[in-house]
Amino acid sequence: MQRIDEASLARSLEAIVGPRGLLRHRSELAVYTADGLPGYRKFPSLAVFPATRAQLIDVVLALAEHGAPFVPRGAGTGLSGGALADDVVLVGLNRLRRILSLDPDNAIAVVEPGVVNAALSRAAAPFGLYYAPDPSSQAACTIGGNVAENAGGPHCLKYGVTLNHVLGVTAVLSDGEIVTLGPGTSGAEPVGYDLLGAFVGSEGCFGVALDVTVKLMRSPQAVRTLLADFLSMDDAARATSAIIASGILPAALEMMDGPTIRAVEASIFAAGYPADADAVLLAEVDGLAAGLDTDAGTIERICIAHGARTVRIASDPADRARLWQGRKKAFGAMGRVSSHLVVQDAVIPRTQLPSVLAQIREIAARHRVTVCNVFHAGDGNLHPNIGYNAYDADESARVGHAMREIMRVCVDAGGTITGEHGVGLDKLGYMEMIFSPASLAAQCRLREVFDPARRLNPGKVVPIHSCREWTRRPS
Amino acid sequence: MSSAGAELRGGAGSPAGAGGLDDRTPLARARKGLDACVHCGFCLQACPTYLALEDENDSPRGRLLLMRSVVDGTLSISDPAVEVHIDRCLGCRACETACPSGVPYGELLEATRATMLETHPIPWLGRAILWLFAGRIRLAVVLAAARVLRMTRIPAALGRVPGRFGFGMAMLAASGPALDRQSRGHYRPQGDGRRGRVAVLNGCVMAGLFPETNRATIRTLVANDYRLVKARGQRCCGALHAHAGDLDTARQLARANVAAFERAGVTAIAVNAAGCGAMIKSYGHLLADDPRWANRADTIAGMTRDITELLAAAGPRPGAPGRAAAARRVAYDPPCHLMHAQRVTDAPAAVLAAIPGIELVPLADADQCCGAAGIYNLVQPTVSNAVLAAKIAHIAGSGAGWVATGNPGCLMQIGAGLRRGGHHARAVHPVDLLDAAYSAAHRVRDGANNPPIPPGA
Amino acid sequence: MSAPGEAWAPETVAAVQDAVREAVSTRTPIRIAGGGSWLDAGWPVARDARLVRLDGLRGITQYTPGDLTLTARAGTPLRDIADATGVEGQWLALDPFATADDGGSIGATIATASAGPLAHALGLPRDTALGMEVVTGDGEVVRAGGRVVKNVAGYDLTRLMTGAWGTLGVITEVSVRLRARPEVDRTLALAHAGPAESAADVAAAMGCAAMAPLAAELLNPALAARLGVTATGSSVLLLRLGGNAERVDSEQSEAGALGNCAVIDADVWRAFRQCERSYPGAVVVRWSQLPSLVADTWRHALQCCAGSPDALIHASLGRGVVRAIIPAPGVPALARVLRAGERPSGGRMFEGQRIAERLPAPLWSAEPATAAGDRLSRRVRLAFDPWHILNPGILGEGAHDTLGSP
Repeated sequence: MQRIDEASLARSLEAIVGPRGLLRHRSELAVYTADGLPGYRKFPSLAVFPATRAQLIDVVLALAEHGAPFVPRGAGTGLSGGALADDVVLVGLNRLRRILSLDPDNAIAVVEPGVVNAALSRAAAPFGLYYAPDPSSQAACTIGGNVAENAGGPHCLKYGVTLNHVLGVTAVLSDGEIVTLGPGTSGAEPVGYDLLGAFVGSEGCFGVALDVTVKLMRSPQAVRTLLADFLSMDDAARATSAIIASGILPAALEMMDGPTIRAVEASIFAAGYPADADAVLLAEVDGLAAGLDTDAGTIERICIAHGARTVRIASDPADRARLWQGRKKAFGAMGRVSSHLVVQDAVIPRTQLPSVLAQIREIAARHRVTVCNVFHAGDGNLHPNIGYNAYDADESARVGHAMREIMRVCVDAGGTITGEHGVGLDKLGYMEMIFSPASLAAQCRLREVFDPARRLNPGKVVPIHSCREWTRRPS
Repeated sequence: MSSAGAELRGGAGSPAGAGGLDDRTPLARARKGLDACVHCGFCLQACPTYLALEDENDSPRGRLLLMRSVVDGTLSISDPAVEVHIDRCLGCRACETACPSGVPYGELLEATRATMLETHPIPWLGRAILWLFAGRIRLAVVLAAARVLRMTRIPAALGRVPGRFGFGMAMLAASGPALDRQSRGHYRPQGDGRRGRVAVLNGCVMAGLFPETNRATIRTLVANDYRLVKARGQRCCGALHAHAGDLDTARQLARANVAAFERAGVTAIAVNAAGCGAMIKSYGHLLADDPRWANRADTIAGMTRDITELLAAAGPRPGAPGRAAAARRVAYDPPCHLMHAQRVTDAPAAVLAAIPGIELVPLADADQCCGAAGIYNLVQPTVSNAVLAAKIAHIAGSGAGWVATGNPGCLMQIGAGLRRGGHHARAVHPVDLLDAAYSAAHRVRDGANNPPIPPGA
Repeated sequence: MSAPGEAWAPETVAAVQDAVREAVSTRTPIRIAGGGSWLDAGWPVARDARLVRLDGLRGITQYTPGDLTLTARAGTPLRDIADATGVEGQWLALDPFATADDGGSIGATIATASAGPLAHALGLPRDTALGMEVVTGDGEVVRAGGRVVKNVAGYDLTRLMTGAWGTLGVITEVSVRLRARPEVDRTLALAHAGPAESAADVAAAMGCAAMAPLAAELLNPALAARLGVTATGSSVLLLRLGGNAERVDSEQSEAGALGNCAVIDADVWRAFRQCERSYPGAVVVRWSQLPSLVADTWRHALQCCAGSPDALIHASLGRGVVRAIIPAPGVPALARVLRAGERPSGGRMFEGQRIAERLPAPLWSAEPATAAGDRLSRRVRLAFDPWHILNPGILGEGAHDTLGSP
C-alpha cells in the first residue's frame, strides 16, 4: 500500500478549493465521522468540498496523483455507514447543488449530485411535475446519494426506485477519466451494456457523479389516502396481500405496529392513530380520477373484510397530510423515547409477513428488547427499529444479538439483507449470508473494472476477503 | 473489522464523567436534550448558516455534535471550532420546526453560550449593547438621540457606506415609519373593552425607535374591544442577554417584568416584537430553578400573546369599505421567533388576509431567517449579510412593494438590506397596516376629503 | 462430451458449466440460444461458434402467487409462464416482438432486453428482472439479485447481464416480478383518417387526454392490413386499456374523442408480435429519440421505407420508438433504409438513434460502431468473458477479436 504524502496532498487540494473548502482539524472533522446512523464513527484524514464541477474533477485528479483513497459524501443522511471511512479523504458533494436544466415538455432534469431530493420536486412543481423516488429523508438527502444507494421510499411500490428514474449519469472515475452512462437527455433507447444500471446502487464505489439526468413524473390527477387500524398484525398483513392480489397497485402501502403507534401518539407528533391498535395500514392510490374512488372503496372493503376496526379516507391535501403525519414522524418519535436507535432494512416475500413478524416478536421477547416495526408493507421491506441505551453494555449486546437473529430469519424466509439503505459498512457481515464466494468475486470483478486500484470508498459493500485475485486470466 | 451492528456502543461518545464538562455548568445540566438527536439531518436544509456556508459544522446537527463532544470531554469548551461555530448560530430555531425528534435546540444553544462565557466573553460591541439595554434611563436617552439623528436624514444618506457602520446607519434609517403621515392612525378607536384587560409590552427598540407602531398596537387593540392597562416598571425583556449567554442579567430583568405585569392585574400581555414575545413566553423555563419565581413566571408566560394572536382571536371586523383602487402588494415574512420559537403561524396570516386593500403575494423560502438575530448582524456581519442577501433576492423576486414582519430587528435588517440594494420595497409591521386600514375606513365614514393612499407598489 | 460441430443442449446448470468450460479449454466460441427466436438477430457471431441450446433447461422453479414473483429456468418459454400465472389472475408483463408461438424464452428475452407493447406502461426487462443465475465465461456459477421486489444488496449484476446478449454470461435462471391482471382488459382500434405521415400526431393529443393505457402502438397501413384490423388501408392506433370497469370506460370515451374507435379482440396483440416471423430474412430496424418527438421519428421512418411499400412499420408511442420490418427488401430500398438518416431529406436531419435488429449478414459490417466498444465496456467484457467465447461478435465488437485489450 503506497504511502501517501498527506502534506503535499493537503496543499494540492487547498490550491484547488481554497482554504474554506478544506478541513483538517479533528474538531472540525468530527461532524463528518457519522452519517444518519449514529453507531459508526470513522475519522477522515481530510475533508474537501469542491464548489464546482471543475473543482471536483481536479480534486479527483489530485487524489489520483497521490494515490489517495477517498470517500464521497452527500448530505450524510445514509443509514448504512456508506459515506464514512477511517484515514481517507472525504469528498463532500453538498456544494454542487445546481439544477443544471429542467425540460418540462420532456419531463427531464439534469442536476448536480448535491441537489436535495425535495428541492428537485419543488423546482419541478410549477410545471405540474415531481421527482418520484421519495425516501423519508427527502428533505435533506441528495440525488447523488440516492443514486449511490438506489434509494426507494414509500411510493416506490408503484413508481419504482431510483434506478427506474435515472436516464443518465456523467461520472468521474477514480483515475480521473470521465464517462457518460446511459442515453441521458437524448431520449434514445439504451444500447450496449447497462453500465448505468450497474452504477446506480454502487454505493459510491464505482465513480463520483458529476451530473445526473433524471426523468420527472406528471403529478397524478387524483389521490386517495386511507388509514385502517387493526387489532391484529396478522390481519393487517393478510389485508396487504389481498389488496395487491386484487389487481390494484397502490401508490403506497405502509404499515406500523403497535409499539410504533404508541411511540408516535405519546410524542408531540400525535396523529390521532388509535393507541390500542396492533397495526395501522396506510394505503394510497393515485392516477386518473376516473375509477379511483372505486379502487379506494375496494381497499376499504378488503381491510374491513380482514378485520379492520375503522377506515378513514382523506381526499384533501390537509387531511392527507394528517394521515401521513404519524408515518413520517415515526422514526423521530422513537428517537425521543430512547437515547440510541438501530434500524434494519430487510426485505421478505410478502406472503411471509405474518410468519416473520411473529418470529421477530419472539426474538424481541427472548432478548428483552422492544422492536418497533415500520415498513413498506407493499413490497415486504421491513424496518425493525430497536431503541436502547448504548451506554449499557449488556443491553447493547442483547440488541446486537436480536438484530442478527432478525436478519437471519428474514434471509431464511427468502428475503434479502437490504432493500434501500445499502450495504455500506453496516451490512458487510451479512453479505456472505446471501451470496456465494463466486458471486461475491464476480461483484469484485465488476468493481475493479471501474476502480482497479480500489481507492474509491474502500471497504464497503463486498467483504474484502471476497475480493480474491482472479488468477485464471489468459496468458 | 466489519460486522453487522458490531459498533452498537454509544456512537457519539461516553457519558460525561472524568474529563467531561463540570456537572454544574448550564450545558451539562441541559445535556439530556442532546439525546433526542437521531442524526437524521433534516435540520440541515432548514439552517440559514448551513445554506450560506455549506459546512456541516455550521448546521444544527454539527453544533449539537460539538455540544455533545464538549459534554463528553472529547472537545474543550474553549476549542476554536466550538467557539467559531456556536458563535455563528443565528438562534433562529428553524431547526426545531424541522426536527422530527423534538430536540430542544434553542435551550441547548443558550446553555452552551452561558457555559462558554467564562472562556469566551461576548465581543465588545455586544457587551456595550447589552449594558445599554439593561439600564432603563441610559437606553431611553440613547434611543432618543437615535430618533433625533434619524430625523436629520443623515443616516439615510450614510446608509450606503460599505461596512458595518453604513449598515448600522441603514438600519436606523429603516426604522422610521414606513407609512406616510396621512395613512397613520388619525382616528379615535372605539371599543367596549369586553375582551379583558391587556397590557402592552413597551419594549426597548419598539418604544425607542418605533413609537408609532406601539401607538398603532394600542389603537388596534382598543378597536378590537380589549381594555388597555398600563404596566409600569417594565424593563427590557432580556432576550439579547439570554441569547448571548448572560443568563444572570436575563433573570434579573425577567423578575422585574414578572412583578410589573403582576401589578398591572391583566389577563393578557400583548407583545408586538416577536423576539420579546418568545422570551417572555419562556420566562417559566428561565426561572424554573427559582422556587420564589417559578410559578409566577409560568403564569405571566402563559398569558403572553403576540399582537396578531390577540387580533386574530377578535376576528376580522365587518367589512370596512376598502380603498381598492391601489392595493398594496404585501409579502409576509414570518419572524423566526414567531414562527419557530412561538410556533405562531396562522394568526399573522389571518390578520393580514383580513386587511382590506392588501394583496398578499407569496414569498419564497419565507421561513428562512433574515440574518438579524438580535445583535448577530453587528457581531457576525459576513454571515448575516450572506443570509440577508438570499432574503432580499426572494423579496425582489416576489414583486412585493411591502414586506410585513412583526419584529423590530427584522424590520431594520430587511429595511437596511432593501435600501442598500436600491430596492423600492419597504418593510412594515403588520399592525401598522391594520391601523392604516382602520384609519382609511374612519375617514371614509367621516366623509372627509381623503388624500389617496400612496400606490402600494 | 458431444461431438465437435454438434449443438450442446444442456438441461442442468452443471451441464451448462461443463459446456462453457469445454468451450474455454478448446477456445471454441459458443452461440447461446433459448428457443431460437433471436438467432437471426444481432451482429453475426463467429462462424465456427457452436450452438448452445437452452430450451431443455426449462421449468418454473418457484412461484408464490401471493408474492407476485416467479423464478424460472432460462429456457422456459414465456407462454408457459403466461399459462401458469394466468390461472392466478396474474401476468408477466413482457411481450417481446418477433417471437414465435411460445413467446420466446425468458432467458433470451432478458439477455436481449427485448421489449414489446406492454413496455409502454409496465416496464422493460431491466425493470422486471429481480435476480438471476448466470454461468460466466470462466465457467463459474454466479447469482445476482434475489427473489424479492426491492433489493440493493451488492452491485447490480442483474442489470449488467440484462441486455448483454449473453456476452457476459449464460443466463440459466431468472426471477421476475409479476403483476396482477387488470380487472378489465380491453383493446381499442382507432383508424386514422388522413395520410400515414400525420398518423403519429395523435400522440400529442393522447398526452393531453385523461388516459394511461397499458400499450399504445401505431400501425402503418400495411401492418394494419396484415393484422386484419382495417379494411380501408388506413393507419391504426391500437390502445390496450386496463383497470377497473369505471376507469376503462372513462378512458374509452376519452379515446373516442381522438377518433373513431372500435373494441377488438385482445388476440391482436399476439398476432402483432408474431406476424414478422412469417418473413424469414426480413430486415428489422428501429429508430428512437425523445417520446415527445415520436411524430417526427415516425415520419422519418416512413420516408426511409418509401422504397419498400410492403414495409410493416409501428411506433411504440410512449417510448418514442419506431420499428420497421421490411420483408425481402431490394438492395436500393435497403440502402435507403439504412442510409437515409444520414442525409437531410426535405427538412431537418434526423438526430435520433438507429439500431439494426436483423440484417442480411454482409450488411452488418457497414453498420456504425457498436455501443459496447468504449473502454469501460471492453473491460467489463474482459472481466466476465476473458477468453471471448460467449457470443463473440454479437455486439459488433469484431468477429474474431479474442484478447480484446482495454
